[in-house]
Amino acid sequence: MKFEWFVASRYLLSRRKQSFISIISIISIVGVGLGVATVILVIAVLDGVEHGLKERFLANEAHIVLRLIDNGFYSDYENKIEAIEDVEGVVAASPVVYSQLAVFREGSKQIEDVILIKGIVPEVEDKVTSFTKFVNGSYDFQNDDLIKQARFLNDETITGGIVLGSRLAQRLTVAKGDVLKLVVNMTEDQLNPGAYIPLIRNFVVIGFYESELTVYDDHIAYIDLKAAQKIYNEVGRVNSIFIRLENAEFAPKMSEEIEEAAQFSVLDMPTTRTWMEKYAPLFSALELEKIATVIIEALIILVAAFNIASTLIMTVMEKTRDVGMLRTLGASRGHIMGIFMIKGSVIGMLGTLAGTTLGLYICWLLSTNVMRPSPWIANACIGILSCSVIGIAYRRIGTVSVTFIIFATIFSINMFITPFLVLSSTMRTVLIILGVIALVIFWIIVLIKSWQKLSSIWKPTFFALGLLAIGFILFCYVKPISLEELGLSAIYQMNQLPIKVNWFFVGFINALSFAICWLATIYPAWQASNLKPIEALQYE
Amino acid sequence: MDKLIRIDNLHKSFYDGDTELKVLKGVNLDIHQAEVLAIMGASGVGKSTLLHIIGTLDRPTEGNIFYEDEDITAFSERELTRFRNDAIGFVFQFHQLLPEFTALENVAMSGLIRNTRKVENKNGNRYSSDAYEKAEILLESVGLSERLGHFPSQLSGGERQRVAIARALVNQPKVVLADEPTGNIDDKTSEAVLDVLQDINERLKQTFIIVTHDSRLSERANRTVHLVDGKIAD
Ligand SMILES: Nc1ncnc2c1ncn2[C@@H]1O[C@H](COP(=O)(O)OP(=O)(O)O)[C@@H](O)[C@H]1O
Ligand SMILES: [Mg+2]
Repeated sequence: MKFEWFVASRYLLSRRKQSFISIISIISIVGVGLGVATVILVIAVLDGVEHGLKERFLANEAHIVLRLIDNGFYSDYENKIEAIEDVEGVVAASPVVYSQLAVFREGSKQIEDVILIKGIVPEVEDKVTSFTKFVNGSYDFQNDDLIKQARFLNDETITGGIVLGSRLAQRLTVAKGDVLKLVVNMTEDQLNPGAYIPLIRNFVVIGFYESELTVYDDHIAYIDLKAAQKIYNEVGRVNSIFIRLENAEFAPKMSEEIEEAAQFSVLDMPTTRTWMEKYAPLFSALELEKIATVIIEALIILVAAFNIASTLIMTVMEKTRDVGMLRTLGASRGHIMGIFMIKGSVIGMLGTLAGTTLGLYICWLLSTNVMRPSPWIANACIGILSCSVIGIAYRRIGTVSVTFIIFATIFSINMFITPFLVLSSTMRTVLIILGVIALVIFWIIVLIKSWQKLSSIWKPTFFALGLLAIGFILFCYVKPISLEELGLSAIYQMNQLPIKVNWFFVGFINALSFAICWLATIYPAWQASNLKPIEALQYE
Repeated sequence: MDKLIRIDNLHKSFYDGDTELKVLKGVNLDIHQAEVLAIMGASGVGKSTLLHIIGTLDRPTEGNIFYEDEDITAFSERELTRFRNDAIGFVFQFHQLLPEFTALENVAMSGLIRNTRKVENKNGNRYSSDAYEKAEILLESVGLSERLGHFPSQLSGGERQRVAIARALVNQPKVVLADEPTGNIDDKTSEAVLDVLQDINERLKQTFIIVTHDSRLSERANRTVHLVDGKIAD
């Protein structure tokens, strides 16, 4: 193998004279690298969003809800809760009366909303859904001052206090201390058969529930467990037990065990619903999105691999006479095959490694909040570095000035863009980005031309400096993305675009990329090894 | 003198669709150990074709070639490759040096290829395994000791051809086959190249078969044969 490596590494590094990595190798490596970097980045964002959403949802979500199939009430819930809490892996369980009720404000003549109402014991519920953390105001359902005040002012039968979802409260335009009327049920009018009289209970708004999760803040209200039992005439009974686990991921596995531990009588038909079932559509949508992304990204890598294949086919053609001579010197078909496969595989490997580094670096930048230097410094870096490359390559003041003017243009355009990008009027942004892309392409072409002219003594230095500059420029420009500024924080329930690197996936994508690149080398290498020595020698 | 190579009734035809082009029509030729044999003939008569077949780069349509009584026309592709590496050195009209490698590396190349066959090297291999060491000595003996690290593009035509000669010698082949080695360089440089060839022949007892137009070259040869109409003329 040593001989093949020797020849392949030389083909990889240089043309004619001893020099640094050839530009065509660099382009192939960049092609593979960008593919791998985007895959890692996109998946890290998708994983981050999924993880962030989960964390957000689970902050105030019970992992398992235990109820009867007909939603009926059951007694003896204290013993059931004790038994459930004894199950390995259960943190806490809370008794809940869970139902839907119509509400209207004092003085209103009609039903204004239908809400989810949870009758709870605040201290117990706190252990399951961190209830108290999200309450703005009081949750003292029996003795809050506002209740006493309302009772005194209205001389009415006030059942107790209620904590309303903040957005629900906004919609109903109620403030703390206002009275809210709950329609508990309907009874047939004895005097007037066929007509129904609503049974109404009054509650005083004592606090708001602010979880920032629309599903809750829009629809939910909390009252005291005892009050809920009383209004339903179900004293000593509940219809749900809310359960928190040590590890939310085990919810489906533990459901059955918990059902058994609760020891319902034969006639009761218990059932559980896990948080996963509740959010199933959302998470399966995210999963689908991830699969689609992986497929698209695999295609990107495939394109990069075709790039490697075509580069190799070109090198094989360019090296035909060399192959003829090597065969004449006694190199076997295996040697020739090895040389070209090594060349392609090294490109694939370097590209994959470079891409992984870049992807992980950007992930790190997107999740790290530190002060960034002004983009001006980054721009100056590009300018100085490019001008020195061009200057040393061409040794002509005129050339350097022309390119300097071009960089000045990029520089100033960047300066104008930066403020505009924040405004993000879509069309303008698109135009600006297109402009930048055009300039960057021009700039890359100029750099490639001067790179080819650059004497090989300078190449390693500028290569290293260039990598450092790219790292620094990324550091200046790539910051955590604020969802708040983009107005997306309500939708995603997060302030900052979350990033989560899945190391297993990074390993997988590395292996995949390398395998694809390796496969792409087989055909060109085989083609080279099949050349007939004499014909190859006489190839023009 | 010992007989090194015996060519027996060698035929070679090229086929272009249905038409057959008979190039070699029964070549019989003996080559002796340590001689310089010049093959002359008109352009297109088949000199290169003959040389390629002797050098195992091509197979004859009919006939046999014996190296020390071993019939190489019966060899498999794999055996031929190995034989080429061990027993044959080539020098072409155009130097055919590998442009990415220095003079030293070019010369060492077939030694490096041989070193990949480890098993044989262990079992009584009579050659030194250090290809670079031998390459250096050879470059010195063709007068290029100052040029070891130069790339082909940094060498003159005559120098390149001398590197090519050194390259052909590195595995101490049974025979060096040269196809118009001075065909592409001027007269004065040719003399220097021919001096090198002669010197090596005399010092190392190296067998050469040289295809040429060049009458000065055939003057220096031990023996000259003419290829006429696909046969060796007497
Ligand atoms: N691969 C080939 N296919 C077809 N014809 C060939 C091939 N190689 C050589 N020839 C023909 O064989 C003849 C001899 O060629 P060659 O051996 O190169 O002649 P020389 O070296 O004596 O000038 C020429 O007519 C040439 O066109
Ligand atoms: Mg010829």
